[in-house]
Amino acid sequence: MADSIEEIKKKKKLYMFIGSLLFIFTGITVAVASVEWLDFGKHGFDKADAIIGLSIAAFKASLVMLIFMHLNHEKGLIYFFYGLGLVMAFFCMFLIGWTKSDPIRYGNWEHADGFYNPEKPATKPEH
Amino acid sequence: MEIPFVVNARKDTGLFNSKVGIWLFLASEVTLFGGLFSGYLFLRLYADYPWPERALPVLPGLINTFVLIGSSVTVVFAWAALKMREWRKFQVYMAITLLCALIFMVLKGIEYNAKFSHQAVRISGGSPVEDYGILEGHVHYVKLDGDKLQDVPSENKKDEGVFPANRLIFKATDLTFALKRPAHEAYVDMILEQAPKGTSIILVEDYVVGGKMIATEGTVLSIDLLSDLEEAFLDARSHDSKIRTQFEKASWAWIRGEQGVTDQATYIVETDLWKARRAEDVKAFSPLMLSAPAEVAFKVDPPFNLVLDPDDTPPGLRSNAQVRLRDDTVVKGTMLDSPIIMAVDAIDFRHTAQRAEKEEIDPMEAIKTSWILTHEAAPHGDGHAEEGHDKGDHRNELKKAWDCHMAWLKYETERLDKKSDRKGLVGDARFVPTTNDKYRVNWDQMLAYKALKYDAEAVYNAAKADDGSLYRTHLFDLSGFAGANHSKHHFPHVEIPRDKVGFESTFTPKWSTYYAIYFTITGLHGLHVIGGALVLGYYLFFGRKMYESNPEWLANRVEIGGLFWHFVDLVWIFLFPILYLM
Repeated sequence: MADSIEEIKKKKKLYMFIGSLLFIFTGITVAVASVEWLDFGKHGFDKADAIIGLSIAAFKASLVMLIFMHLNHEKGLIYFFYGLGLVMAFFCMFLIGWTKSDPIRYGNWEHADGFYNPEKPATKPEH
Repeated sequence: MEIPFVVNARKDTGLFNSKVGIWLFLASEVTLFGGLFSGYLFLRLYADYPWPERALPVLPGLINTFVLIGSSVTVVFAWAALKMREWRKFQVYMAITLLCALIFMVLKGIEYNAKFSHQAVRISGGSPVEDYGILEGHVHYVKLDGDKLQDVPSENKKDEGVFPANRLIFKATDLTFALKRPAHEAYVDMILEQAPKGTSIILVEDYVVGGKMIATEGTVLSIDLLSDLEEAFLDARSHDSKIRTQFEKASWAWIRGEQGVTDQATYIVETDLWKARRAEDVKAFSPLMLSAPAEVAFKVDPPFNLVLDPDDTPPGLRSNAQVRLRDDTVVKGTMLDSPIIMAVDAIDFRHTAQRAEKEEIDPMEAIKTSWILTHEAAPHGDGHAEEGHDKGDHRNELKKAWDCHMAWLKYETERLDKKSDRKGLVGDARFVPTTNDKYRVNWDQMLAYKALKYDAEAVYNAAKADDGSLYRTHLFDLSGFAGANHSKHHFPHVEIPRDKVGFESTFTPKWSTYYAIYFTITGLHGLHVIGGALVLGYYLFFGRKMYESNPEWLANRVEIGGLFWHFVDLVWIFLFPILYLM
């Protein structure tokens, strides 16, 4: 963490630079989404646009975390807490995605009916 | 006792207390917003309806992004100023941070307000694919002229008797209140407020409980009367319940004790012995029951027109002869003509197209036969004589707008074909119009087609001249800052008969899972902005004393507040592209 006054003065210039970069990349994000000749994938929104948009967002987020939130020179314990949060977030995502394996709502109807009643023929419920 | 490590770091971890605390808290926040973003992801991936892409106006979101990034810079400058013991600079930077928070919330408020006043209606048709055409816009304002609706200019919308043109008009002759559901006050207030002078709403017959007269026939409806009736009913029900329980307990004691039956209860209740005993119990306790009626009926004389919000009476519980309100109150009478009258700023057939493809029907053929394009619109009335409004032939504007859109689509398809040829693309890689292009007419396109007097050929030529970009809203077009501006532009209007309304809502969580997750995430984020601003504001307005006694401690606290603020900015950095640009 920057403690001395000289270091803080240097850091201010860095903060201004990073802030400007964030502005610029925000503009780039909007341009990529709006301007046709910057549309790298198919016409309209597709996977390429999602990847580019989220990559730019991740880059901006990294700048904020590393520079503004001082993660570039933090102590190990903080990285642990941050990593813990990320692991828990991914676990949340896994839990939600796991519901996709529910055979009754999403999947294999024969399997679902067989699980509950092997004698009964499988029928696809009305949506 | 002084708490250690609030200013100076611990030697082993190298951290002071509040930094450990805030990072733990931020870990929980990452989990919270991570879960919400996951929710968005899976709702979008597995939606069974066309997900609204680019449905939000970009400019407010873009300004909010710049505002939050700027505030992130100023909050860290405020911290740096404190470290360098520059109090005045700290105050300036912190004030700018708070101003940015205020701007953010004001813009969010403008966006939310635009959505709360924007209406969407899903049209219900005869065939499975007709059920999903959607019209978006703003409802008109009307008042009752006898049994008919009369249009009212929007500047008079707050006048007495004026209401939005999406209400149900029901001529009420009888009311029945369910005493089991004691929450009647709001509806009774509404009914009594709307009843014209001279209308009497009176009890149809005496309400007697256990020989005691609670209310006599002819008593006028009031909240106090209903409270008395509810109290009497609930007391009677409690009394009856106690007696039934006493008899049943006695019967169990008899069958297990005197009869010596020790089987499981589920078997005992099937036996003839038990059934005979219970029949005797019923004979014995029936004379002791108070048996208060669960409903009370009132007569409305003369019948009057009740204006009901559709939300107060779910579609499954209404018919032409009666409606059931959410507190189980039944209103009997006649449903009058209750169309939805709205100015349409968007037509959306994407869901119709999706359903048609599922039924293996050509989507464009299904759309051509939809009610939206085939209904014979009524001639334009004189009702809303707004300034500058052209009273020419406004019939069937939606059909005309759609024909213009087809002309634009024809040019757009040709343009993308040429582009594919130039790039040497083949097969699936070729550029084709999106489902938005094909099946959705946005508000800027509606205005552009109207400006060209719904001349399809003129639309095609204009599109050709401008290289296909004529009808897309420019990013910095302030007239559409938060979406279609109905006070500035006049959109085609439509009268949708009630039986054609499949579902209607403003753009709130009720409308779709998209809006549900949008309001959840942005609302929660907004609350975080307010919370962060309150903390930072506390340091700004009440930090002087601590600055004078222990400036390093205040600097630490401001750093912690700043960390939270950066997190709020981080969340928005992801939210903006995901919600506004994808």
